[in-house]
Amino acid sequence: MNAILRTESLGKYFGHMAAVHEVNLTLQEGLFTSVIGPNGAGKTTLINLLSGYMLPDRGKIYFREKEITRLGPDKRVKMGISRSFQVMNIFPRMTVFQNILLPVLSRLNKTSSAFSSQQSQKEAVGEAEKILGEVWLQEEKDSPGGELSHGDQRLLELGIAVATNPQLCFLDEPSSGMNPIERIKVLELVKKLASERKTTFIIVEHDMDIVFSLSDWIVVMNRGEVLAEGKPGDIRENQVVRDIYLGEEI
Amino acid sequence: MKTRLAILILVVLLALLPAYAGKYALYVAIHILLLSIFSLGFNLLFGYTGLLSFGQAGFYAVGAYGCAKILLTYPSLLVGIVGGVVIAGAVSLLLGFLCIRHTRIYFSMLTLSFGMMIFSLAWKWRDMTGGDDGLVGIPRAPLEIPGLFKINMAPMENYYYVVLAFAILAIYLFHRIVHSPMGLAMQGIRDSETRTACIGISVRKYRLLSFTIAGVYAGLAGALLPPLESTVTPPLAHWSHSAEPVLATLLGGVYSFSGPIVGSVLFYLLKDIIVRFTEYWQMCLGIIVVVLVIGFRGGVVSIFSRKGGRR
Repeated sequence: MNAILRTESLGKYFGHMAAVHEVNLTLQEGLFTSVIGPNGAGKTTLINLLSGYMLPDRGKIYFREKEITRLGPDKRVKMGISRSFQVMNIFPRMTVFQNILLPVLSRLNKTSSAFSSQQSQKEAVGEAEKILGEVWLQEEKDSPGGELSHGDQRLLELGIAVATNPQLCFLDEPSSGMNPIERIKVLELVKKLASERKTTFIIVEHDMDIVFSLSDWIVVMNRGEVLAEGKPGDIRENQVVRDIYLGEEI
Repeated sequence: MKTRLAILILVVLLALLPAYAGKYALYVAIHILLLSIFSLGFNLLFGYTGLLSFGQAGFYAVGAYGCAKILLTYPSLLVGIVGGVVIAGAVSLLLGFLCIRHTRIYFSMLTLSFGMMIFSLAWKWRDMTGGDDGLVGIPRAPLEIPGLFKINMAPMENYYYVVLAFAILAIYLFHRIVHSPMGLAMQGIRDSETRTACIGISVRKYRLLSFTIAGVYAGLAGALLPPLESTVTPPLAHWSHSAEPVLATLLGGVYSFSGPIVGSVLFYLLKDIIVRFTEYWQMCLGIIVVVLVIGFRGGVVSIFSRKGGRR
C-alpha cells in the first residue's frame, strides 16, 4: 500500500494554544480512514492544514512525496485533494446542478471560458448529471442549493467534494445534523463512492458505531496530538483511548 | 421565446426613438443608456462576484478624460471611445490588483479611496485635466474608418445610434459573460469564497477579472459622455457619482440580469422628474429609493419574476 499523504512534525498554534502539535501522520491510499477525538482535539484544524485552508506554523506536508506545505487550497485541489466542511459550505444561490457543474468545470480547466454558455460544455454537463445521480439529487437539480433540506445539502456538499475527481478527499463531519438512519445512508454512500471512484476518504465523525463499522484505519487525536492510530479492533482495545475518549461501552 | 420577442420589440422601439422623440428625449435616453452600461459593470462586481465597490466613478472619469484628451488632439470618435475604454481598463487592472486582496468593508473602503484619489488628480492635475474647469470644447468628432466610411456626428440622432450600438454590444457581451463558465466561477466566489477555492478555482484571479471588466464598462460609459456634453469635469470621479450605479442596481434588482438596466431607467427618470419640482430633489429621491428598496428587496424586477418581491 502507498502513502498518499504524509506529515512531518506538523504544528498550528493560536497564541499559547497548540491546536495541532508535532503530528507525524501517514495516510495510506485506499484505506477508509477516520479521525476521531473529543471536541477541541484538533481534528478540524488538522483537516484545514492538510487541505490548504490554513497554513501550518511548523512542519511539512507531502502529497505523494511532493511537498505541498505552502500551497493554497486551489492548487491542492488541482493536485487531487478535496474536502467538505464541518459547517455547511455550498453555493446557496446557485442551482443544485450549477453547484456540481462548477467544480467539474474547474477540474476540466474550463472556468476561464468567458463567452461560451455553461450548457455548451457538453463533457462537464454530462459529468455533472452523473454525479447528481450518484448523490441522489437528480430530482432537485433546478432548485437553489440553499433551499434544500439539511440532509440534501449535506449530500450536495459531498457531490461538490467528489466533483473535482479527487484522489484524496477529507470529509469533516459529513453526517452532522442528520438522524441516525440518514447518517448510515450517507456514510455508506461515501464508502460506495470510495470504491467506485478509487478515492481515498478521510473522515471526521462523532458516531462511533459508524466509525468502527466503516473504517479501515482510525486516527485518535487529543489536545492537538495524535494519541493513537491503528485498525478499529486495535483502537477499541487501546486502554488510553478508552480512558480519554471512548469510555468503556465500546 | 417570449423574452426574445420582448427584447426585439424593445430594440426596434429604441431604434425608432429619433423618429418620434425630440432632442431632449434623445438626450435623456443617451444618459439612461450610459447609466445602464455603468450599472451593469458595477453589478458584475456586486451582484455576481459579491464585491461592493464605491469607486467605480473613478474608472468612469478615467474613460471620460481619456476619450476627451484623445478627441481634443485627434478628432476621431472611434479612436476616442476605444482609447478611453483601454485606458480605463488598464487603470482598473492596476488598481484591481491592489484592491482584490481584500474583501467586504476593506475592499469597499479601498475602492472608495482610489476613486477619491482619481477625483483629486482630476481636480489638481491642471495641466492634464484642466483642474476644476475641466476639459471643454470636446468635439463630437465624426465616426470614421479612413477609406471606408465617415459619418457626421453633429446631429444628436446620429450620436444616439452610436451610443445605442455600444449599449447593445455591452449588454450582449455581459449576457454572454454571466452565463459562461467564467460567470459561474464569479457567482461561486459571491456565494462562498472558501468553497470556490476548495474546488480548485483561484479566487483572486476571478476577482481581478471581474474588477477589470467592471472598470472597462465604467470606462465605456465615461468615454461615451464627452462627445455628448462637450466637457468633462472632476465631479465625474466623485464618490457621489459612484453611488448612482449602486442605487440603480438596488432599485432594479441585484441578482437579476436586467435589474441594473431597469433600475437605471427608473433612477434617471425619477431624478429627472423630481428635479423639476423641488430643489430638495435629492431628499425626495432618497425617500423613494428607500421605500422601493425596503418594499422590493429583490428589486423592482422581482415583481415580474416568479419569486416575488419580498424574498
